[in-house]
Amino acid sequence: MKKSAKAKSTNVSGWRKLAPKSSKRPATFPAFRKQAGIVGRIFLLILVLGISGLAFWWMDRTFRSDYGPLDLTGPGAPINDVTFSSDGALTFSWFANWFGPLRGRSLMEIDIDRLRMDLEKEPQIESARIVREFPSTLRIELRELNPLLVLRLRRSSGSFEDWIVGSQGTLYQGSCYSRAQLSLLPSLTVSPRTLKKMADGEGFEDLKEIAVVSPLLELAQRNYPSFYRDWKVVSYDLENLDSPGAHICVQSGKVKEIRFAPRDFAAQLQRLHYILLEPEFRRKKVIESINLCHDHSVFAKL
Amino acid sequence: MSKIIGAVEIGTSQAKALIGEVGENGSLSIVGMATRRNEGMRKGEIVDFRKAASAVHSALEEAEKMSGTTVDSVYLAQTGSHLRGHMLRGSSSVASSDNRVTPDDVQRASAEAKRREPDEGRSYVHHVRTPIILDDKVIEDPVGMLGKKIDLGYWSIDGNDQAIQSGLNVISNYSLEVNDLILSSIASATMVAGPDLRRAGALVIDMGAGVTDFVLYRQGYVAYSGVIPVGGDHVTGDISMGLRVLEPYAEKLKLEYGQATPLSEEQAEDVWIIGNKTIGDRSVPRKAIADVVHVRVAELFEIISKELGPLLKPENLQGGILLTGGASQLKGIEEVASKILGQPVRRAGFPTGISPELAQPENSTVLGLLHYGLEDHSLPGETAHDVEMGLLGKLGRFVGIGG
Repeated sequence: MKKSAKAKSTNVSGWRKLAPKSSKRPATFPAFRKQAGIVGRIFLLILVLGISGLAFWWMDRTFRSDYGPLDLTGPGAPINDVTFSSDGALTFSWFANWFGPLRGRSLMEIDIDRLRMDLEKEPQIESARIVREFPSTLRIELRELNPLLVLRLRRSSGSFEDWIVGSQGTLYQGSCYSRAQLSLLPSLTVSPRTLKKMADGEGFEDLKEIAVVSPLLELAQRNYPSFYRDWKVVSYDLENLDSPGAHICVQSGKVKEIRFAPRDFAAQLQRLHYILLEPEFRRKKVIESINLCHDHSVFAKL
Repeated sequence: MSKIIGAVEIGTSQAKALIGEVGENGSLSIVGMATRRNEGMRKGEIVDFRKAASAVHSALEEAEKMSGTTVDSVYLAQTGSHLRGHMLRGSSSVASSDNRVTPDDVQRASAEAKRREPDEGRSYVHHVRTPIILDDKVIEDPVGMLGKKIDLGYWSIDGNDQAIQSGLNVISNYSLEVNDLILSSIASATMVAGPDLRRAGALVIDMGAGVTDFVLYRQGYVAYSGVIPVGGDHVTGDISMGLRVLEPYAEKLKLEYGQATPLSEEQAEDVWIIGNKTIGDRSVPRKAIADVVHVRVAELFEIISKELGPLLKPENLQGGILLTGGASQLKGIEEVASKILGQPVRRAGFPTGISPELAQPENSTVLGLLHYGLEDHSLPGETAHDVEMGLLGKLGRFVGIGG
């Protein structure tokens, strides 16, 4: 039978019942100092604990590698909903086809990091975000490349295959684009020697010059959509950007050849817009050429 | 890890605080001690809370400062004429079928003995256990032995609630807890009468300023204790009244010329009250001082003799009669005591190992408090005391640090 000394003598007739339950206001200065000392020590202890906690929290926040929320809920229920969204042409059907059947897999059985990396390997996808929404929803958000041009290549069989050119020159066979979308994109004409096959034989390496062309196309797409819709063929000679011969050539319904210098596209487009508003130009159904490569001078052939 | 313990004696003339450090091997080192004049007490009882608290708190603060540490709880000495002792007895039958004594049997006898309630307005201060008797035989530890009946007694001291509460309030006002209340006479006896003397039978008389405490041991256990509301201050008062001098001068005369044995006519001489022989100073006969002291001291021992009565047989007190306390330093006091109590009386000494400045008769109670507090007073078969802990200890336990 274990009893403490205090408990032993704590009975109704013992002196312990007379002990004050709480200390009263200090009656003397030494008692006040003692009480202040105790309060000070407790305060110091709380302060030290608080500072330690804050320091720990700060270190954790500063030095932690953030791998996203840690899930401790176990395998859980099978996925019964996939929320899919994309800022481009890809659809849920594409994803379902690409990913394959879920076969009753739960959220924790899917390696979302690997899924994200696999999706980002797709040339049409710029970035992907995969989120588990418990209990059974998988959320997929995609950001696609902006298609700028279409490159039509002739197969050895004689048929054609279309490759989409993204803003950074990425060539990919786009999925889920409608015919209307593709028909609005200008065609690209490039010398076959500029196209280099990938090491694995599938697809082509990025066209580096497109990085120079894409600002022009994006600007036209944004500020002069009527021009852009009319543009048919785009070609360029940009091997040496400092050369006076470097240019981008656009063929449109109205102008058979528009030649841009690879710089200051905004000014050149403004000039083109101005020229096409000239009555003489407006009257003409087809204009032979407009050359915008010579700074403030524009050469046009009616 | 060492443990810090404290002891406080709120005496009639002085408040004493002592801080000791108990080492891992159980050795006790005194690390802080302070004494302050106490003007808030009369005859062992607090009559002015603020003055008493001021003296005790100052002594505690000084002792803490000296020790470089703080205490969370203390052992407190209890004295005063309001204390009364009784022998309480209880018994229990051995419950097991094979008549083997278990700790539960001892506990039941103990609970039976402590069942008696004190009078209204009074509470028990101290239960001091007497020998355990197993079937009419005195047994040190009956647990595991064969027997039918256990008898157990307590010398129980109860006191007036208000007087006890005053002392507790003084301590709690300094944000301390009281570990235990210990009778002053028992504390003193623990210090000055070793276990051998107590076993042989001893009477320890602690003569304080306001009261005289005494405790009688037989076979190593307390058989009787008492408090007489007469102490050194009464001797001073008698000199002051008898010789018509102010109390400070009476105290001076007592300390310088006071002696308990009466002087013969030849030894008589006059002594100066102030000592500088200026206007107001006058001489008084030394014999008169001795006579006044003798009368009061003799009266005190007569009261003790009368109270102890048949207990005061020489065969019961082979360990002797020991005098301690500040007032026991009067010259010739042991002769007067021997004459009245009818047995040899001697001044108590201290065990070896205590520094000379601490080993003074007036420190026997406060030193004894620590020693008594360290002893194990649990019943046979009971586990040792749980470690008492203070506010920070409790906080530490609450947050999961330490025991």
